[in-house]
Amino acid sequence: MIITLALASLVRHRARTVLAILGVAVSAAMLLDMVMLSSGMRESFRGLLLSQGFQLRLSPKGTLPFDTEATIRSADSIVALIRARPTVEAVSPVLGGQLHFPLAESMANATALGVEPAVQGDYELVEGRHPSAENELVANDALLRALGRSVGDTIRAAAGYDPQLRTLSGQRVLRIVGRVRFIYLALEQRAAALPIGTLRAMNGPTSIDRASLAMVRLRPGADVEQERTALERQLRTVTVISTAAALKQVDERLSYFRQLAVILGAVSLVVGFLLVTTLVTVSVNERLGEISVMRAIGVRRWRVVAQILLESTVIMIVAAPLGLALGLVTARWLNSILARFPGLPERIDFFLFQPSAAWTALGLLALSGILAGVYPSWRGASLPIASTLRQEAVG
Amino acid sequence: MPGDTVVIAGIVQRRADPAEIARGEYRVRLHLDHLQSLLGYGDRVDRFAVGTRGAAATADALSRINSAAYGFRAHRSADIAVETSRTFAVVSRFHRAIGVITIVASAIFLLCIMLLKVDERRRDVAALRLIGCSTRTIVGSVVLEAAAVAVLGSIAGVGVGAAASWIVNQHYQGVYRTPLRFSIVTGDIVLLAVALSLVLGIAAGWLAARRLVRTPPLALFGR
Repeated sequence: MIITLALASLVRHRARTVLAILGVAVSAAMLLDMVMLSSGMRESFRGLLLSQGFQLRLSPKGTLPFDTEATIRSADSIVALIRARPTVEAVSPVLGGQLHFPLAESMANATALGVEPAVQGDYELVEGRHPSAENELVANDALLRALGRSVGDTIRAAAGYDPQLRTLSGQRVLRIVGRVRFIYLALEQRAAALPIGTLRAMNGPTSIDRASLAMVRLRPGADVEQERTALERQLRTVTVISTAAALKQVDERLSYFRQLAVILGAVSLVVGFLLVTTLVTVSVNERLGEISVMRAIGVRRWRVVAQILLESTVIMIVAAPLGLALGLVTARWLNSILARFPGLPERIDFFLFQPSAAWTALGLLALSGILAGVYPSWRGASLPIASTLRQEAVG
Repeated sequence: MPGDTVVIAGIVQRRADPAEIARGEYRVRLHLDHLQSLLGYGDRVDRFAVGTRGAAATADALSRINSAAYGFRAHRSADIAVETSRTFAVVSRFHRAIGVITIVASAIFLLCIMLLKVDERRRDVAALRLIGCSTRTIVGSVVLEAAAVAVLGSIAGVGVGAAASWIVNQHYQGVYRTPLRFSIVTGDIVLLAVALSLVLGIAAGWLAARRLVRTPPLALFGR
């Protein structure tokens, strides 16, 4: 009987119920988006950092990877020292730089990464093969488009360019052996990777035995924090950053989005709550006579409370799936806006869908629905039966 | 020479720059020739800043430098500002998108409330209809009431918005230790909010009133 009465009450005012469901659905969509935003960026960044299995990153003392142009001195001996540790599975040194490609009428510039192809963790091969010889490189789509070249072609490249004299330094003819997708670079960023020795030789004396970064993959079971401390103690010229420390940095830089998500999520929840409370309260006010009659003929107080609570919960439950679907659509839209951040890696998502996010949003909605029914149900259940009946009868 | 010992001659504070928010970088200023010597940079600079007298002089200087100079280009500061503020343009687009969603939610909320408010007057409307008031008069009075509610709500909303903006600024200025204002309530924004609220309120009131006047008066009385 409780269910029948609750549904009848909702169906009686169709327009009102439909609007309430729509309102709650929009609030639910916003809530889901904000729950996704609050954790999505962090999880997405964590996935990106761990995608190639490297748990530690070494950068010049006091810097973050590629945050400055500083490089690590005696990089080869440092890499050899780390590789000798029993807990270390692989070390990938990376040297960052610029490459200049003279074209017929202009000059194309690109980010260059000097890597050890056998252990690199900076790119994924899409077509062709890794550079194995000295004068080979792999490039991403953005660079290949700018150069008008494809896998198998050769191209003249230089590590230095003096714009006043228009002279190139550190020139080489390189063969493009692969098309790749860089993991940590933006989609539109032109980039190439070549053996670290080749890039060092092209850069000249300033780059001998240098690296911008070294990534360390530990053997399964190794304690990451313990290794980080040991390496930092052993190597005085570098800062060793674990994934957790990198995530902390990201948290600090993107705290604005997390806080915005919390505030907007809370506002959405309050708006949904207020909407349902108002509607159910008005609905109860319109049915005071009906509720008094029910109480007069012996319907128990808890049944009245249950019926009104059910009304608010039904609105929330019907609106929730609609809101979740709408939330996924709006999350894609909002993500496509934020994906245009300059230099943002292609794989980073601000709105990352996780089942836990959906469950959290659903749980909060259900709780909000129940709470929204508390006041009107208390009002309905505590009506003085005789005087209400008299008032309703007199009109 | 690399490794020079320097004397700290003063502590400086740069003008607040949104691009430096949350970066926490250390900055030093020293004589150009000293830095060139430290970096082994020779007689080089990264850029020149050129001051001009007015927009016409800027355009003239730009064209003369770019036609005469070999190896570098001159750009308007405004163009560089546009390029370097791409991050803020993205954030601004994101805020606008959130604003659109909020407006949709507010519109539905407002429609619901107006529907309820007009529904509460079923008996009054029925009585007015029975004593001969025209539907036009009834719809007009309901719309007027809706507009009044929307205006009062807007005024309260502007107050809440201004308070929220103040709290946001206080919070983020403290977090990032900057005098930058993160949230600004301008006249345009207030005007947009009031206009939107008024339009939505009147539309919601009109829809609800139309629905009511189409129902027979006796049915409104519940007979």
